[in-house]
Amino acid sequence: MAETKGKRQEYTTDFIKADIGNVSFLGNVHIDNIMTALIAMGAEIWTDRRRIRVLESLLEKKGVTRDMVEQYVPTAEEEATWKKEREVLVDRMYGQFARQGSEFNISSDWKNK
Amino acid sequence: MSNHFNRRTVMGGAAGLASAIATMSGSGPATAKLTKDVQQRGQVGRLERLPTLDLEANDEMLTSIRIFINGELSQAAAKSAAMTLKAKGLDPSKPMAREAALEALKDDPIVAVRNHSWQHLQMLMWDNLKREFHGNYDAYMSEMEAADNVGPGKLELNPGIEPEYTKHEIHMQPGGYTGDAFAGHIYHYGTNNFYNGNNYQDERHAGLAARVPVPNDGKVRRILEIGCSCGQLTVALKQRFPDAEVWGVDIGAPMVRYAHMRANDLGVAANFRHALAEDTKFPDNHFDILTSNILHHEVTRAGTLAIFKEAQRILRPGGLYYPMDFYTAERQIMKNGYGQVRDWMTSRWNHERWLYEYQSVDFPKEMTAAGFDVIAKGMPGYVDNLVAYKKA
Repeated sequence: MAETKGKRQEYTTDFIKADIGNVSFLGNVHIDNIMTALIAMGAEIWTDRRRIRVLESLLEKKGVTRDMVEQYVPTAEEEATWKKEREVLVDRMYGQFARQGSEFNISSDWKNK
Repeated sequence: MSNHFNRRTVMGGAAGLASAIATMSGSGPATAKLTKDVQQRGQVGRLERLPTLDLEANDEMLTSIRIFINGELSQAAAKSAAMTLKAKGLDPSKPMAREAALEALKDDPIVAVRNHSWQHLQMLMWDNLKREFHGNYDAYMSEMEAADNVGPGKLELNPGIEPEYTKHEIHMQPGGYTGDAFAGHIYHYGTNNFYNGNNYQDERHAGLAARVPVPNDGKVRRILEIGCSCGQLTVALKQRFPDAEVWGVDIGAPMVRYAHMRANDLGVAANFRHALAEDTKFPDNHFDILTSNILHHEVTRAGTLAIFKEAQRILRPGGLYYPMDFYTAERQIMKNGYGQVRDWMTSRWNHERWLYEYQSVDFPKEMTAAGFDVIAKGMPGYVDNLVAYKKA
């Protein structure tokens, strides 16, 4: 029978849910998750980049050209601030690379610790 | 959400339940402008833009990634599969049994990456759309309710008719075609991703409509599309045959609600009925042309055979049925190892659950058995290979 939400008629039914969420394609669900996050991150990067493109186009109509953006020389204060921001970003993104590998394997050795 | 009702006059009050039922008899719904049109960012051609720049940009990037997956990555997977099979002493070009192919390729890393990224990209896409439409439930539902009872096209809803086999989340679409109030919205924008970004203006459906043959006597008064989903082909058929009465039916009530709303928004007088393709409830000998697009591979074998009988019943003598789909039974070739894995992914994990049953149907044979004169031309393909005429 058609289902309702509150007093509204949705004309929906129950449904048979896909079980894709329980599957690992890459042998380890966490690797699957990282791969999915990479795809999502790509979409997010473009989302921001496209917004920047829109802003550049709008600014150009107001007299701020792309060439002016390219030629812009930051102030010393801006340079210092941006450098700090980059370092934070690098640490957030790549900090894991410096992690020392432990001999402790959480799945197989936990009883020994 | 702001500026929702910025294009048309907002009228007070949501449409009542009774307004959603427009019968075929009588004068039908009044022709009127939609009163609660949600169109925050205008439209480009025929497409109402997605409501935020972020969502639109996210969608276009996922579409670009999908093009990469379907192209370069799938080619790499096929190559990797061939190398894996060769290493195991198997010929990658030769047909293989499904189980043997799955066993041989289960650990191929590039095949796995290709399959993972294809499935999970699709899940991300569905999640984005669902979040938007359900996150703004009241606005979108009010828009659809207000559209239910306005024309020029008609809408007929018949709650409770859905058999179990139609309730799967095909393509992993949340709620499937029957279980989500915004199934039509989600399907329309989601399949723009499926079409690799080449159908934003319904180009594909216009092309399909142009290929639909007409009966030998040239008379086209009534046309029906079965399994019409969000109505793009039905609308295209009405635009090709403006003097004909054109209907679309689908088992997903939210699909036909959206189809009706969109057709009317485009100013096209196409009609939609919530009905099962194998039980349309139309009169005997009623239609000149019956067609479908990628319907049969989402229907059980029994369903397809029942559709042939229904087509025979509702077509007038000399009328024709023109089914369009990925493969007809004429193309039941045993696939190679990688092809078997792809079909298994589609059927098992993309939840196109009836693909194998569909591939088991010998279309020309079964349509002939249902009473049609079948013309099958040349090598089978997506279109132009199969026309079934009801005996005059």
